Formats: sequence, C-alpha cells, structure tokens
Amino acid sequence: MGQPLPSIRVTEPTQSRERIALDDFDPITLEVYWSRMISIADEAAAGLLRTAFSTIVRESNDYATVLMDRNGDSVAENTGGIASFSCILPQTTKTFLKRFPAETWQPGDCVITNDPWLATGHLPDFTAVSPIFHRGRLVGFAGSIAHSPDVGGALWSADCRELFEEGIRILPARLFRGGTRNEELVEIITANVRVPGPVMGDLEAQVVANEVAVRRLQEFLDDTGLEDLQGLSAALQDRADRALRRAIAEVPDGSYSAVIEADGFDEQVTRIACRVDVRADTMHIDFAGTSPQVDRGINCVLNYTHAYAVYPVKCALDPFTPRNEGSYRAITVSAPDGSILNPRFPAPCSARQLTGHLLAGVIYKALADVLPDKVIAECGGAPTMRALFSGLDRNGDRFSQVLFASGGMGASPHRDGLPTTAFPTNVGAGSIEAYESVAPLLVWRKQLRPDSGGAGRFRGGLGQEVEIEVRTDAPVRLSLLSDRRDHPAEGLLGGRHGGAAVIAIDDGTRPHPKSRTTVAAGRKVTLLYAGGGGFGDPKERDPAALEADLRDGYVTPKGAARDYGRG
Amino acid sequence: MASARTARIGVDVGGTFTDFVLHDPARNLVATGKRLTTPDDPSRAIVEGVERLLQETGLAPGDLHSIVHGTTLVTNTIIERTGACVGLLTTAGFRDVIEIGRETRYDLYDLFIEAPPTLVPRHRRIEVPERLDVDGTVLLPLDENTVREAGRRLVEQEGVEAIAIAFLHAYRDDRHERRAAEILRASFPDLPLSLSCRVAPEIREFERTSTACANAYVQPLMRRYLEKLEASLAALGFAGQLHVMLSGGGIAALAEAKEFPIRLIESGPAAGAMAASFLARLAGLDRVVSFDMGGTTAKMCLVENAAPDRKFDFEAGRVRRFQKGSGLPLKVSVVDMIEIGAGGGSIARVDAGSGLMKVGPRSAGAKPGPICYGRGGTEPTVTDSDLVLGRLDPGYFLGGEMALDPGAVRRAIETGIASRLGVAHDDAALGIRRIVDETMAGATRMHLAEKGRDPRRYTLVAFGGAGPVHAYDLARLLKMKRMLVPLGAGVASALGFLVAPPATDLVRSHVARLERLDWAHVNRLLAEMAEEGRALLLQAGAAPDAIRTVPAADMRHVGQGFEIPVPLPAMALGTDDLPAIREAFFASYRERFGRAMEGLPIEALTWRVACVAPGRDISLEGASARAMESHTDAARAARGKREVLFEGAGWLPCTVYDRYALAPGASFAGPALVEERESTCVIGPGATVTVDNYRNLVIELP
Repeated sequence: MGQPLPSIRVTEPTQSRERIALDDFDPITLEVYWSRMISIADEAAAGLLRTAFSTIVRESNDYATVLMDRNGDSVAENTGGIASFSCILPQTTKTFLKRFPAETWQPGDCVITNDPWLATGHLPDFTAVSPIFHRGRLVGFAGSIAHSPDVGGALWSADCRELFEEGIRILPARLFRGGTRNEELVEIITANVRVPGPVMGDLEAQVVANEVAVRRLQEFLDDTGLEDLQGLSAALQDRADRALRRAIAEVPDGSYSAVIEADGFDEQVTRIACRVDVRADTMHIDFAGTSPQVDRGINCVLNYTHAYAVYPVKCALDPFTPRNEGSYRAITVSAPDGSILNPRFPAPCSARQLTGHLLAGVIYKALADVLPDKVIAECGGAPTMRALFSGLDRNGDRFSQVLFASGGMGASPHRDGLPTTAFPTNVGAGSIEAYESVAPLLVWRKQLRPDSGGAGRFRGGLGQEVEIEVRTDAPVRLSLLSDRRDHPAEGLLGGRHGGAAVIAIDDGTRPHPKSRTTVAAGRKVTLLYAGGGGFGDPKERDPAALEADLRDGYVTPKGAARDYGRG
Repeated sequence: MASARTARIGVDVGGTFTDFVLHDPARNLVATGKRLTTPDDPSRAIVEGVERLLQETGLAPGDLHSIVHGTTLVTNTIIERTGACVGLLTTAGFRDVIEIGRETRYDLYDLFIEAPPTLVPRHRRIEVPERLDVDGTVLLPLDENTVREAGRRLVEQEGVEAIAIAFLHAYRDDRHERRAAEILRASFPDLPLSLSCRVAPEIREFERTSTACANAYVQPLMRRYLEKLEASLAALGFAGQLHVMLSGGGIAALAEAKEFPIRLIESGPAAGAMAASFLARLAGLDRVVSFDMGGTTAKMCLVENAAPDRKFDFEAGRVRRFQKGSGLPLKVSVVDMIEIGAGGGSIARVDAGSGLMKVGPRSAGAKPGPICYGRGGTEPTVTDSDLVLGRLDPGYFLGGEMALDPGAVRRAIETGIASRLGVAHDDAALGIRRIVDETMAGATRMHLAEKGRDPRRYTLVAFGGAGPVHAYDLARLLKMKRMLVPLGAGVASALGFLVAPPATDLVRSHVARLERLDWAHVNRLLAEMAEEGRALLLQAGAAPDAIRTVPAADMRHVGQGFEIPVPLPAMALGTDDLPAIREAFFASYRERFGRAMEGLPIEALTWRVACVAPGRDISLEGASARAMESHTDAARAARGKREVLFEGAGWLPCTVYDRYALAPGASFAGPALVEERESTCVIGPGATVTVDNYRNLVIELP
C-alpha cells in the first residue's frame, strides 16, 4: 500500500553520522577524489546507456546513475541523464534500507522497485540499487534508474483513472540475492509486460551498471586506503551544501509568489501556486493553493515535485558545483496533501511530467523580480509533447513508435531562447530517416514554426511543426500526452507568451491532447509544438535582431507588425 | 632517375607553427625544421620551409619522392567560421534539419548555453519538392524548376561560393541529389557542389546534412589553397607526389582532398596517433595508449596491433571546446582519440563555490603563457607547477633558449592558491599536478571503459612537450606497468606523416534485420566501395596488388539506439555467412559490454569498407646518428642532480640524464630526469629505465 509520507520533503543530514573532521581531506585531495566519484558514476552510466533497449532511455536521456554512501546519501551522480532522478534515487535507497536493514544486505544483491511514491513518480521507471562491500563491510550503494520499455497496463497514457490501470507495481524486492537471480520475481514481471526480452535486458543493464560502480569504488578504496566512504561523503556533501547556501545568501530575504496555469485535464485546469521563502542561506518552496489531485494520470508525487522544484533553483543559482546529497539540503519543499503535487495513493500518475515540468516556470516567475538576470521565461517544451503511434504495418508486424521532438525554450535575460529544446527535461530528438525505417509512418514536414517564439526584448525559442502520414492498411492507435493547448508558455518581465500547441488530423478533427484515439489509414496528423515565452518588453528588442529574424523567417512580417509594431 | 628520388618530407601546418621532418633512407638522413605558420597563405610557409630544409640537407627538389602534408586549416576554418558563403538545398519540409539538430542541451545546468551557429543561415537554405521513402521509392518526383531557380537565386542574389545538397534517404538512393547536381552544374559549371550521398552516405539526416554543409563550407578555400601549393612546389622544381593526411590516419592524393576536404578535419592530430602506432610496431607492443600532451590539450588514443582505433563521427567547431554536444556533428572517419583541456598552459584556480582547486580547461596558451615564461602570465599553470616541483630545469627549457623564473611562480602559487586553500606552497604546487594528472587519468579510463578495455594491460607511449613530464604519474594512476618515450618528443608527431599508409574508408547505409537482408544489394555496395577505395589508393601511390579491403558493418539489437562496429567475414556474403556474422556481433558486443543477449534479433544499419595499403617502414638510425657522443653506461650521460617533489615520497634527489648522450642499451633506475631539447621525462622512484635500439626510453613501473 501507499506509504504515509510527510508533506514536507527535506534532505536531512542522516543522524548518527560519525563525527568526521572535515579537515581529514585537504581541498586538493577532495577535488581529486570528487572527480573520481563522478567518473565512477559516469562509467556506470556509459554502460547503462549503451546496452539499454528502451528508446526513452536513449532518446530522452531518461536515466540516472548515483553513487551513495552506506546511509544512502548521494556522493556523486552521473553527468548526463535526468537531473531530477539523481535527487530521488537516494530517497528511494533510504526506503530500501528501512525494508532491508543494513545488516541484511549481501554482496551480489540488487533491490528494485517502480513504486511511484517510493521512487520516480510513475511506474515505467525502474530503480535498481546494489550494495558495495569493501573488506567484508557494507560501505555504500550503487543505484540506477531507467525508463523500462514496458510495464504492462495502459502503455503511454494520461487518461487512466487509477494507478492500477497503469501497469504492474513492484514494491521493493530483491531481483538478485547474493548473485542469484530471483526467478519468481522475474516471472511476475515477464508475465505482465508486452516485451519481456527487452524489459529484462534493461533491468540487467541496470544491474551491470551498478556492478561497474561497485567494482570501481572498491578499486578506489583500495587505491586510497580509505576504510569506507563516510568521511569523504560528509566532506563532499559539506562542499556542495556550502556552495548552494552561498548562492542563496546572495538572494535578498523575502517571500516571492507566483501562480501559473496549464491545461490540466478537461475542465480541471491545473493551477500551480508557489511561494518561495528566502531566509539567510535557506530557501523554502511551498505550493499551497495548488489544484487538488485529479482522477487522471497527471498527478505528480512529492518525490517528483521535490526534484523538479530544486533542480531549477540549482540551475539559476549554482549551476557549476557538482551535485550530491548536500546540494539540496538548503532547500525544503512542501505541497498540500492531496494536491496535484502531492497526491494520495492510488492516484494515477503515468504522465506526471505534464505537471512536474511546469514547476521551473512558476518558480522562475516568482523569482523574476528579485533575480532578473538569472531566470528564463516559460518553455514551450515544458511539459514535453509526446505522440505514440502503434498498430500493425503492411507485413502484419506490430510497431510502436514515439516521436521525440520539443518546443522552444524560454528567452533569457541574455539571449533568445533556443529553438526546439526542452527544459527542464533534456529530451533528444531522433532521426526522421531512422524513424521511418522502423514504422509505417512518413514525415512530410519537420520544421521551425515561424512566429511561435514569444515576443520580447529577447525572443522565445521557436517551436516546430511536424506532419506525419500513416501508411498502413488498417487504422492505428495514437496516444497523446501533451499540454499548452490553451495555456501557452508565458513571457517574463514584459515578454509575450509563445505559440500554443496544436494537434490536428487532416479529416478536420482535433484529438484530445491527453487521449488514446484512432487514426484512419492514410490520414495525416499535424503536431505544432509550443514556442517559448519572451523576455522583457518587445519594444526594447534590438531592431537589427528583428530584421535578422525577418530575413531568416523566424518572424513573419505579419508577426512583426502584430508583436513588435513594425509598420 | 627513380633511384635519386628517395627523400620524403612530412609537413604539419599548425595554428602557430608549421613543422617539417625530412627522411631520406638512401642517404640515411633525418632532418627537422620549424617555421611560423603564414595564415594568409599557408602554402608560403610550406614552400619556404621545404626550400630551407633542402638547403640544409644539400638535397635538390628533384631528390624528393613525395611530400605528405597535414593541416589544421579545415578545423580552424570551422572553428573561426571563416569559410565560404554556402547555400543548401533540402527536401521540402526539412530545411531546418541543421538548426533543429538533436534538440538537447549540452550542459544540463547552464540556462544560458548557446547553440553552435549553423554553417548555412536559414535564408540560404532552399526547399525543393521531392521525396523518397526508406526503400528509395519516389513518392514525389524532383521539381527541377525549383532546383534551377534555387541555384540562380543562391548564386546571383546571395552570392554563394558553394552549394550543398542533402535530401532525405539519399543514402539509400541518390538519384534526386545527382539530378539536382546536374541541373546546377549546367548553369554553374565551376561552382563546388557537396552532395550528401557522396560526402557521407549514411542514414540520419542531421549528421549527413551537417557533413555535406561543412564540406561545402571549406571546399572553396581548400581547393584554392591546394592548387596554390601544387603550383608553388612545382615552381620550386618539385616533381614528386604531393599527398595529404586524412583524419583517419591514411594518406591520400590531392584529388580526394579537393573533393572531400572535410576528411582533413583531424589531419594533424591523426599524425601523432600514426607515429605512436609506428613506434609501437617497432617496439613490438600490441596494446598501447598513445598520450600526446602539449600546451593546451592532452590527447589519448588506443593503439592495438600497431593501428589506432578509429571512429566514424566527429564534432567540429564546438561552442565550448571540450564539451561534447556543443559542436557540429560530422560523419567522417577519424582516429578515435579523446582530447581534453589539460596541457602545460592549463590554469589552476580556486573555485569560489566549492572552495576547491580546479585546473583547466582554460589555458594561458602561448600568450601570455605560464608565469615562468615571464611574458605577462599571472595565473599559475601546469608548467609553472612542474617547474617549482623540480621537474623542469629553469636553465634548460627549450634546450636553454628560454630562462624560466621560479621565484615569480612561487609567489603566485602562494597568494593565488596556497593561502586561499589554507595549504602549504608545495602541497598547492603538487596539487596542480595531481589534479591535472587525475583529469587525464579519468578521461583515459572512461575512454577505455567504453571499449571494454582495461588500462593495466597497456603500455603508455608519451610525447608532446608536456607528455614525458606527466607520463609517469599518468601511468601510475592507470596502473600501467610500462611506458615508452620516443626521442624528440616534439618531432615524434610529425613522423606520423612519413609512416602512414595510403588508406581510406568507404561507407553506405542499408538498414535491415540480418535475416531479411538483401545480400545481392549488400554485395553490390561492398564491391562498389572496394572499387572506389582502390581508385583513391592508386592515386595515393599504392601498389595495385598491395591493397587490402576490410569489410565491417554497424549493427545492434533491434530496438537499441547504439550500433557497434562488427568485422565481416568476407567481401561477398550470403545467407550461409549468417551464423558467422551473428557470432562476430556477439563477440564485439561481449568485448564492449561484457555480456551478450543471444535470443534477440539483430539489425545492420551501415556497411563499411576500409581500404589500406602497407605503410612505410622508416629507419630511425639517422635520427640517432647525431653528432653527439653517446654512452651505454648511463652514468656517463648524467649531468648532475636535482630535487623533485614526488607525491607520497617528498623531495627526492634525481639524477639528471642528457637524453642525447644515452646510447641504446643504457639502463638506470628512478628517481631520475631525462632532458632533451623539447621535453623532460620524469621517472619516479622504483622505476627502471632502459634505452632500446631506437633510443626510446622504456620504463618499467614498480
């Protein structure tokens, strides 16, 4: 059952930590060891990325690898991947430690879960954690998260009414015990998914990634003569903590509030209210006043809310210090119990990114007056828009293909927003030639969308326009996960909003943006990805920049007249 | 007459210097030279340098068999964005392919990153109605009028100097690209055209289009430059062959360089890897990591069985030089090396956020250079730390040409680093070295891990000005047992031009599951590539019966995102070869990832043929026949002692050896320093050194 969870998420220093003299490591040794820790996490990530089957892992970088000490505190995380995952994994490990106390772990164990409340907020992500032993003692954990090719249930949907429709849920369980695979667990998983081979292949890839980290960490301890990770972990956390506190301390004390809205589901518009309290070197982010949870899959569990609230703060205030458990200690996050940002079990949450990705925008909006040089306008690609086609091709083979594409990034105080680039997530796009080689779909257009960048002193990044023809004999299913139809990305400090998202079929219909619908053979589906919001008053735009935009067609003459008053 | 033409010259045109090495086996002659690069017309420095080298060696232009040439011109043109005004024709609906790119942020935390500017701005990208599907079927015929009109507009109104053409699925069927080229040629016969189906016939439109645009972007300049060079050398009386070094480490005739100049993108760095491969072969080492550390960067490359690892993509013109993803992707064959911002000039600083010391990637470069050069540098660098740690001799830098100032360095390290970190001066100085060495070790470990290799089984071959200074600690961090340091660290790289084989790589994409492959089509592709490769190699001077063709394919499990290169059993394949091909895939997979999943289906995407002729063996005897007297008794080559600070061992007195006075067979033990003109080799306590027959230092680590 769902675990009772506090409504405030705080990364607290673990109690009972041995009193470590932080001076045990001089600043040079610490730098050297820190980069070793990061490269261990990176090496694990490289193994995971290259052997994974899930298209989501490789195209949307939907994965993470984290190295933790024996309390489950993060010591280092991989450089790429999903930033927010690294923030969640140590929390998950700590719940594993409650279920499986430290003294019960053995070398060669691996515990997994995909529980949304314990881990990353929806079922498709598996978290896998392996213990690290050194000279017979438990010294830490290696963990990885990857988006599974399938978890059964309603694949790729935002419209389920309950979690149970969304797939199989595995509470923390040992996939490996002392190096031996738990075949009963494997059978439960493989019996409940559509593509058991790739699903188990990816889980094993996660185990392999963990093993890489285990081996490398053991070598590191051998090389350095350290007994365990605790002292190093404490010192590194302290450095990361100090760096963020230093940055927060420069923000004037006060309470900064903002509200944004998104499409939500049908009449249930998502309203996110945010108040950021800055006091000395700490920050509290509270979402009181936010919409209640809904009976559709866009609820965002607190773990995910926390991760997507602290990540944008880190980007704005302290982008370059490496991350670990200490990085977010100065920030606390709370959301009302039963709200869309802290839903109760068994709320459906498969498409929780449609809500979680909005947090960066509201936090930046709240901080815009006090940090006008450090934040960006709302992004067209927050949340991401996904279209999945599935069905049978003309050979009768089953296909299932996601189109990865992004809207435009919000403009910044320093330059125009990047076109077709996602933030806060970092989704990549695949090749259209490769896309067409694996599915009976033909892409007639994939191009920038003129006038979709919100006007401003700096213009929002352009969204894009994609037209896809279904080349099958029978109808196909189209799953849509999107927002921003009625709520385009807002501009900041006088900037205008970007172009809204549009999804249309050439039979004249407009499918529901969060639905599973049928598209007839031969039809063309057009997807317009939202543009980013503008930054600053459009009247202040450099005339030369506007002329250049006109010459390159990023802005049409009509758009220039409308948005910039160009005669 | 033929017997007289025995001398060969290698020329490396770098950003600052143009380096020369001449080798004449008949006369047992090795000579080197250096001139300032002449950026306005790089051929000037080449011609002057060749002339000078001929004078010094008493040779005539007619004695030259060939000149092999590498250049950073292509890479610099892209970095500095000083190439041609280019137009691009694309499939209708796809003119933004190069701008949309991969849609990722190369830095996850920096909100203000810049995208690399495209080489062709949007108003010079013109859409042409036409469309093929994935099988090459024409869905929409080429609109020839639009092509004609586009050509006219681009040339007459936009003033383009070159046009790239990149249509969807042109890797599968090139008819529309070729027809469009014909139409353009009819109106503009002299306009350089870069067709994506010729430049990079591989699936994935962004990378292929980007490569075609980059080729077009550098082509006019490279063509002018190579023609000028040919003419100037001919005027000098040079009647031998002029060749270029390709990024993949092969040498090629000028014709290939003029048509596909983008293949020269990593021409210079490839030479270093080829030199390391040659040294490895001479020394009988089949597992080597080559390590080339200069002023700004360190480059590491895996060399197995005397050949460098290669890969088939590269990123050029990065917004941030060492940040993956911040540049333009190119589909070209390059020596697979990692380059990181760790060199003698890398600057040490204290990071305000974390309070820790960072070294690089910012570099003091040649100007102002390290503090110890006394040319205005104020921030401590790696070279500065090497100096105050005793690794460099203040009085013998560049053979004594430049006096170094350790006093100024000590003051800067004290105030800039030590006092801010709260550590002693020596710890701060040692810290700079530790951090830069750790950075290099981390990058090397990662590079090898991606290939499933364990550094402990490899020998480190070190060169470049700073390479021998840092090699011992790098080898130690990587737990390598042995390292090799060739004579003449600064010249070693240029040797690569003289030993590289004529070689080229061909590629075609054809995507299908193994069991559904059209083998007749695959065999046609392989044969076509072999033929094209042979023609190129013959132009590059290869003997017809010495050319080898090596087939391979990029394969993966159906559903995966990464392909791995898999060697193929033969140049003609059929269904009977399937078990062998599957097994080869699993073997490559296991080698990289430590496991295989034999139940899952496999697909092939891209087919490759490497064409290669034997390289040249050159004798280094000439190099050792220096005027200086040398000794097999190392003690007689010693010229004093100097204290060096080693991590964990403190200050140790080291014997300083004169590299030129050490004869083959000499041996000694560390701690020691071996000085030569361009570098100093640092050898830690417990290591033993022998000088081999080629005057390499072979160092066994404890």
